[in-house]
Amino acid sequence: MNGGMNGGEQTTVRTRRLAFLIPLAGFLVLAGFASIALLATLRGERDMTQLPSAMVGKPAPAAALPDLREAGNTVSAIDFKGRPFLVNIFASWCAPCRAEAPALALLFEEIEIFGIAYKDKSEDTRGFLATYGDPFADIGIDRDGDAGMRWGVYGVPETFLVDANGTIILRHAGPIDRRVLDELLRPAIQDLTTGTRP
Amino acid sequence: MRLPRLFTRLWGGLALLAALSAPVPAIAVTPEEMLADPALEERARTLSKQLRCLVCQNQSIDDSDADLARDLRVEVRRQLSTGSSDAKILANLRETYGDYVLLNPPVSPGTYVLWGSPVFILLAGAAIIIAGRRRREDADGTAALDPAEPPAPPLPPGTGRTAIALGSLVLAVSLGLYLVLGRADLPSQPLAGRGAELAAAADASNAQMAEKQTGLDEARSAAATSPDDVGAWLRLAMAAAASGETNTELAALEQAERLTNGDPAIRAMQAEAMSRAADGQVTIPARELITRILAEDPSEPRALFLSGLAAYQDENFGAAVEIWLRLQSLSAPDAPWMALLADNIADAAKAGGINLDAVTPARGPDAETMAAAAEMSDEDRAAMIEGMVEGLAARLAEEPGDAAGWQRLARAYDVLGRPEDATRAMIGRADAMPGDAGAQLAALEGVVVNRLEEGLAEDAGRLLERIASLAPDRSETLYIRGHFAKLSGDVEAARAFWQALLDRLPDDAPIVGQLRDAIDAL
Repeated sequence: MNGGMNGGEQTTVRTRRLAFLIPLAGFLVLAGFASIALLATLRGERDMTQLPSAMVGKPAPAAALPDLREAGNTVSAIDFKGRPFLVNIFASWCAPCRAEAPALALLFEEIEIFGIAYKDKSEDTRGFLATYGDPFADIGIDRDGDAGMRWGVYGVPETFLVDANGTIILRHAGPIDRRVLDELLRPAIQDLTTGTRP
Repeated sequence: MRLPRLFTRLWGGLALLAALSAPVPAIAVTPEEMLADPALEERARTLSKQLRCLVCQNQSIDDSDADLARDLRVEVRRQLSTGSSDAKILANLRETYGDYVLLNPPVSPGTYVLWGSPVFILLAGAAIIIAGRRRREDADGTAALDPAEPPAPPLPPGTGRTAIALGSLVLAVSLGLYLVLGRADLPSQPLAGRGAELAAAADASNAQMAEKQTGLDEARSAAATSPDDVGAWLRLAMAAAASGETNTELAALEQAERLTNGDPAIRAMQAEAMSRAADGQVTIPARELITRILAEDPSEPRALFLSGLAAYQDENFGAAVEIWLRLQSLSAPDAPWMALLADNIADAAKAGGINLDAVTPARGPDAETMAAAAEMSDEDRAAMIEGMVEGLAARLAEEPGDAAGWQRLARAYDVLGRPEDATRAMIGRADAMPGDAGAQLAALEGVVVNRLEEGLAEDAGRLLERIASLAPDRSETLYIRGHFAKLSGDVEAARAFWQALLDRLPDDAPIVGQLRDAIDAL
């Protein structure tokens, strides 16, 4: 009887001591998550500035925009329906848009690109295209940023990949650099084009 | 603001400005964004406080000056004015921008952990405390049952209650702090603090203004009682300059100039006042005056300074550096303008890529050309001014982005009595700053005042399109769009714009009667 009582008390004391470890364990779990996230950011695998886009999986906004190349004409994402295409929202006043010009020139060989000139003067847009190259199949003028708002854009440049049904597959905010091109856009385009081919 | 001239021309001497500038509360929201209906505007503000500025990420769009925040504010107001409910507007924005656009995250599978963790932690804490108490009670019980056993290590009496009380206190304080400081829809702190700062600054500047006004009144009466005293007129000019009353300043300087028979120093002050009146741009008449002063007195410091400034504004940095260096070498080392002068020289040298060590101030030749200019006949001088203007026009044709240059050109054409060219220059300025509603309105006003609506129809159309999106609700916009609608024969649109303007104006605004007549006459 005595022995039994002793054993019970020892267990109680041990649990009580272990109870102090609960907050510590909780802290370690949190610290673990934080360091995983931090390491991913440091290695460049996770970009803190990339916000989740609500537009992925939704139909591409189809509003008609004035055509930069032909006054009086309009262009729209709907014109591209039936084949996958990229949408690139850019402006002549945006420095990163200049940085991504070479990447777009490469993509020009691989997929059609619908350009939207966001809050830009047409003369300036033309000057920009003359200087940095024109990889676009069509260019719509979004003088006051209305179309940008429909696409959920919060800064230029932004790039969307749309499939043949007109559904947005992918969104990238910020310039397309080598990494984004090779690791994000090209594989996604590859998936789409092989997917649509019988 | 040149609006009054427009109405003067059209409706005979009526100032509208006071009626147009209703006081508005200061946050990031700018007056032209605001809705006319106060109830809708109130809803717009409440909604804006719940929406995240996606560029700045920890401010609401109501607080943020970012471009996108402005667009979203305008969008919220647009949807409100089409009759959408608050919930519908939030849902629409969530549709495009995602949950992230809401400052308070909605409860959804993705945020269960976020919303649930405080409750979970609370329950877990309570469970631990209760379990601890129960165990202690058990231990007390066994000790009583078996007196031979040494009692469990005694806890100080009331530990459980103290722990619960402390826990509740921490919870209450956290909740209080959250409500006072942490809620998502609270304005960001620096901006909230800015309100008080702005008020204090306004008070200080009001006090200063009052002081200046007293000084000006005293100087004015002193000059009036002794009209032959040059010093009194100069003091009046200085007091007027301090209060920004350029017209008074120019008039006082003219008196002083007359009394001294054209003293170069006083004429240089006139040139300076003329430039100050033109936002610091050395105007063509001022340049002419400077040239004449320097012909008489090549070392007049103020005239030299302005002459250098004129060269600087023409982006002739080499000449600016040369003239300013000459002024530096002529001035006493402790002259009050030396610090400013050194800054300007460094600035001009940097802008022009000039190595200052390699430049030695030349004294002679420039003064000679200036003297030559002073001896010119009036025709030659007019030709010289025309030449300066054409030079500026040619430069602007190549660099159309220079808004200040366009403004200077417009002023020069005004002085030369070429209103159409002046209006074209104002259009150039409006094109150089397409995001500036004021510039568009100023150019359109020139078109209307000078009756150039037909000749410049294409330009006017472009500017009208811009103000229609930049500042659709501004009174000037409503008036001018109505005017052009009337000209194009669209009576209905003209009536709509003017009626909207009329609805905005207080009933006792001086132009209300004329506006009604104009509408009736449509």
